[in-house]
Amino acid sequence: MSDDLVQILDGNTFVVSDRRGDIEASLTDPTGLFSFDTRFLSKWVLTVDGQRLNPLSVDDLAYYETRFFLVPGTGTVYVDAKLSVIRRRVVGGGFREYLTILNHDEKPVELAVRVDAASDFADLFEVKDALAKKGRYSSRIEDGRLVLSYDRQTFSRSTVISATAPAQVDKNGLTFKVRLEPHGAWATELEVDAAAAAVEQTRRSRTTRNARRENMERNLERWVAQAPRVECDWEPLKVTYRRSLVDLAALRYSPPITPGKSLPAAGLPWFMTMFGRDSIFTSLQALPFTPELAATTLRVLGLWQGTRVDDFRDEDPGRILHEARYGEMTAFEERPHSPYYGCADATALYVVLLDEYERWTGDKRLVRELEQEARAALRWIDEYADLMGNGYVSYRRRNEETGLENQCWKDSWDSISFRDGRLPGFPRATCELQGYAYDAKVRGARLAREIWHDPTLADELEQQAAGLRRRFNRDFWVEDGEYFALALDENGNQVDALSSNIGHLLWSGIVETSKAKAVAQHLLGRRLFSGWGVRTLAEGEGRFNPVGYHVGTVWPFDNSFIAWGLRRYGFKQEAAQIAAGILNAAAFFDGRLPEAFGGYEQKTTKYPVQYPTACSPQAWSTGAPLLLLRTMLGLEPIGDHLIVDPELPSGIGALAVLDIPGRWGRVDAFARGDIDLGGRRGLQPQLGEPAQAAARRRRG
Amino acid sequence: MVAITDATTTFFRELGGRGREPLLEKATGTVRFDLVDGARTERWLVTLQKGDASVSRKNVNADCVVRTTKAVFDAMVKGEVNAMAANLRGELVLEGDAELLVLIQRVLPSPPKQREGGVKEQR
Repeated sequence: MSDDLVQILDGNTFVVSDRRGDIEASLTDPTGLFSFDTRFLSKWVLTVDGQRLNPLSVDDLAYYETRFFLVPGTGTVYVDAKLSVIRRRVVGGGFREYLTILNHDEKPVELAVRVDAASDFADLFEVKDALAKKGRYSSRIEDGRLVLSYDRQTFSRSTVISATAPAQVDKNGLTFKVRLEPHGAWATELEVDAAAAAVEQTRRSRTTRNARRENMERNLERWVAQAPRVECDWEPLKVTYRRSLVDLAALRYSPPITPGKSLPAAGLPWFMTMFGRDSIFTSLQALPFTPELAATTLRVLGLWQGTRVDDFRDEDPGRILHEARYGEMTAFEERPHSPYYGCADATALYVVLLDEYERWTGDKRLVRELEQEARAALRWIDEYADLMGNGYVSYRRRNEETGLENQCWKDSWDSISFRDGRLPGFPRATCELQGYAYDAKVRGARLAREIWHDPTLADELEQQAAGLRRRFNRDFWVEDGEYFALALDENGNQVDALSSNIGHLLWSGIVETSKAKAVAQHLLGRRLFSGWGVRTLAEGEGRFNPVGYHVGTVWPFDNSFIAWGLRRYGFKQEAAQIAAGILNAAAFFDGRLPEAFGGYEQKTTKYPVQYPTACSPQAWSTGAPLLLLRTMLGLEPIGDHLIVDPELPSGIGALAVLDIPGRWGRVDAFARGDIDLGGRRGLQPQLGEPAQAAARRRRG
Repeated sequence: MVAITDATTTFFRELGGRGREPLLEKATGTVRFDLVDGARTERWLVTLQKGDASVSRKNVNADCVVRTTKAVFDAMVKGEVNAMAANLRGELVLEGDAELLVLIQRVLPSPPKQREGGVKEQR
């Protein structure tokens, strides 16, 4: 996404404009006002006396609010600053724009202020894939308001534009005749209402809107105030932490069916919706900081858990959804997202999150409340996910036309390959799915024994888990490379590429201790570790490409779970090294990690190269620094206590996370780094590997 | 009263008579279905109490009101129409606590014949 696009958002409503505040979208541009996966404004252009304006500055006041300072001008270097124009835009249910014009001259002035507006009502899928519309457009003037509409049978969406100042309204926009006295000011408030009648029944009035906005402000302040505080002598970490908290607040999404309950959406601009996998991973990352996100994620995903066998939606009983959408193509079942269930990991991860949530919060009530959902999820693993009958979770879409081919987190078409670059057939059993299934069974057993009081189920799950672990370590282990295969193909053969997925296996605990060291060495080895992080696919593999989406780039989210996995097997310094790489990268992005960045060697590029089309902020990238704080401090809930076992990268002298919420109430965690005798800290703004590891390396 | 057992009637009779339904355990409240059939509106009231559903034809206020045509609802209870997609199309309108409908959806059957998707354009 280009730098000069300004995005503001509230839930699944967001605005992307240029630095003047204008929107001029073509069908394939991701600019405009979007809500419920539909573009409600594709044109929004402000002129004064027929002239476009020039931006002096743009302020992001809050995630839902932006202010543009503009002056009329000819586009040359010289700017005639007799007039200032200020547009302050606030998003919520559409947006409101407070337009102010100041006359700096000693003479009065008469102006024609014009806003041109239009909408193509494109579905986000159409913007992505450049598809044509099937319905009818219309526009009309109603009670001094401009109403833009789109209708296809019973499907109806409209944009209603109004202003507080007197305006001449025509079908293409609004014109204001403005007279400004010397040093005078003129102002109006423009309201753009995005209305999806059937989806949102109650049209919010202006007063409830205002109340809503005040709520957003208070809500953000409270959100930040309630989260633990981070103190650190390495400044960029504090900036990154603050950025993560604010972005996470912006990414909270309240589905229309469950108003008031928000879970993390996946990312801006394309992914402001319920996602099983992304919401679960982000909730896991944020558990030590904002555990309430996990509770809502579990409730909402539980509510939508599959109950039917529906090939179009790849739905099965017990399956946790992949993605829900609200646009026209979903409405007419040209896309299966109502909701779509085609993912093979979220169901096991659902159980993992439920257990981890209870370990942190002690909220047994929720575990009892969701017993049925968790049991159904565990049953899905055995009854619906073992497509090859070999005891492994695998996937093959039943919706051949619009379903997802790769139903694991690396969901692009070429993400799963052999060393030589060949793609396997289907079904595919990727390795991390087996790890998640193992972890779900182990954790499910604990919940069954301790909370549901069902020792029979607990025994059964433990036996299954032990069997799965034994078989997995035999069938997936690539002998000549000493790592786990990326997947098994449709014939049960190893898909033998070396990939970051092996890090998730450590996180799940499925790796036999004797094999863990080799796995850790690969993760930090030259082929996978770039210096910034672990690449999705190792250098030297047939499909390796440092800017390939899932075949060579570095994903901060992926790395945060790998760090957690390394900690789980006792590789504290290795985990700290990954934290150092990712946090260094975050500093280059002002604390906001992109979805992915290039897998180039750190020494080659000196800075992390952002992946070309990555979206930002993205929930699980936003959550990555939170999980890395956890792994650096070695936070682990044991019974009613929080264990702290820190290992910091060099460059951090002191780190404290204060008021960590959990079953213990609130506690603080402190860590001290090794004293840097070289005194290089001031000269070396980047973090390094832990001092002990460096010393060991020097010795070795 | 004409004694025709259409899909809707069968569905509600079955729902009211099935006893404790684990899939509905989280639902407590009332849902009224207003099913428009030409000039007349057929009303069904479902009262959910922790997994027990009772069904009547009362026309009273409810926590959730579902308004659609008889034809769409008949198709829904046969598994032919997806409630969320119908809602997005504007064929099914919801008022009040929408969560109750999501829960009731859990007891709707799978699509009878698996298909590729794409709702036929109606003229």
